Amino acid sequence: MITAERKPLEELIEYIRPYRRILLVGCNECVTVCAAGGRKEVGLLASGLQMALLKAGASIEVREHTLERQCDPEYVEELVPMLDGVDAVMSMACGCGVQEVARRFKNKPVYPALNTKFMGASERQGVWAERCMGCGNCLLGETGGICPIARCAKQLMNGPCGGSTNGHCEIGDDVDCAWALIWERLKELGQQDRYVEIAPAKDWRAGKGAGPRKIIREDLAE
Amino acid sequence: MSFQKRLQAHEFVVLAEMHTPKGVNISRLMTDARRIKGRIDAVVIPDMDNGIMRMSAIAGGVLMQQQGVEAIIHTYCRDRNRMALQGDILAAHVLGIQNLIVAHSEEMSQGDHSDAKTVADLDEIGLLGAIRQLQAGRDLAGFDLDGIPSFTVGCTIAPCADAAELEAELAVAARKIEAGAMFVITPPVFDLSHFATQLPQFKKLGVPVIPTVFLLKSLAIAQYIANSEPGAHISDELTRRIRKSSDREQEGIQIAGETVAALKTMTEGVMIQTLGWEHKLPAILDIAGI
Repeated sequence: MITAERKPLEELIEYIRPYRRILLVGCNECVTVCAAGGRKEVGLLASGLQMALLKAGASIEVREHTLERQCDPEYVEELVPMLDGVDAVMSMACGCGVQEVARRFKNKPVYPALNTKFMGASERQGVWAERCMGCGNCLLGETGGICPIARCAKQLMNGPCGGSTNGHCEIGDDVDCAWALIWERLKELGQQDRYVEIAPAKDWRAGKGAGPRKIIREDLAE
Repeated sequence: MSFQKRLQAHEFVVLAEMHTPKGVNISRLMTDARRIKGRIDAVVIPDMDNGIMRMSAIAGGVLMQQQGVEAIIHTYCRDRNRMALQGDILAAHVLGIQNLIVAHSEEMSQGDHSDAKTVADLDEIGLLGAIRQLQAGRDLAGFDLDGIPSFTVGCTIAPCADAAELEAELAVAARKIEAGAMFVITPPVFDLSHFATQLPQFKKLGVPVIPTVFLLKSLAIAQYIANSEPGAHISDELTRRIRKSSDREQEGIQIAGETVAALKTMTEGVMIQTLGWEHKLPAILDIAGI
């Protein structure tokens, strides 16, 4: 999923200070799962904003709505009847959702309430960790299902650096060395020969090397 | 007189671009430099900003200095992060290079290493800010430097297809100047009367304007630019002139020389771009009366 964290309240208040009425829009997808921008968080932030502004001697009306999926134009359309009289929109989706709302409603300022962080997985209750950087040419089949691009701080492609100690990255003991994990996993699978294969310089064109990417499925595209 | 002093004295500066080799054979670069020594104010050494892997501009700049030819080297953001950029800028100063041009870089996918990863840690305005900060004695992290570099720093204006694009590009150029650029290299001039209409806008930037004079090496190149870059303003008259000439190469040289001569009364300098035909620079300078 795409993970996110809410921006500090002070930053959000600066965004909305000029306005009298805003629409706060959540998303029922990834940001709900990582407890950053779902229905519950929309309610909490709406109260928080109103209370903070009241305390500062100002006031604001916050309309609340949570879309099924904010990165999908079909669902964003739902917002049309809610925008009447609204000065600005604050989105609690990831950056994709924010941009979709901004693209659809060109005459309304749209502000992000979240900082979009990474594509990750849930490690345990309340903890999410980065797993994928969307390089566009997945090599997990060669690395025992552990990604050295997303999980090695130096994005090394041919084994660990000298900073790997007892399975930890030199960044800190709370960070696993991706290559130590890869080695252990390959051993378990009996695929140690993969470890000694030298990976050539990575072709980054499938990633951001060639600018913003787009997928076109001819069989589905209208 | 140095490039910097000539700029300050509002003397007309003549620059010529020379590329480093893709390899380590520097004999052609050296020969080309010797040919124009004493006839131009500085040689501009691009780096890999056009997307072609080649010997770095610092080495090219140092080779020029060793020949007694003042160098201006390109620096750009696509391939180096702020640490590498700052380190190279300090190195350039220590090696005797006094002039930098913060250049736009070609997108990685358009170069000859299209599979490489783009760095783009800073943008051009950020890099100009970094150079300014180094010249103030601190690096981008705020740490004091032991020994402070100094440079004459310029920027570039990209070719523009129309007036709206030019306006946007001028707004960016104004920010680059605010960030520390002291002169501006403008796109190739093929139509002097059209350039004369743009010049007041360039002059509003408040820094010396140095237009590019591009050597049209063949009719095919002239036609290609005319068709693919309408903003370049290559007129039918100009392509006709080359087509009708009995010696098209010489005609291109003649056009470049005449353009340089005409710009002497209009701008603070010129930068002659010959893209591999640097051996023709003396002939262009002869025609220009330089």
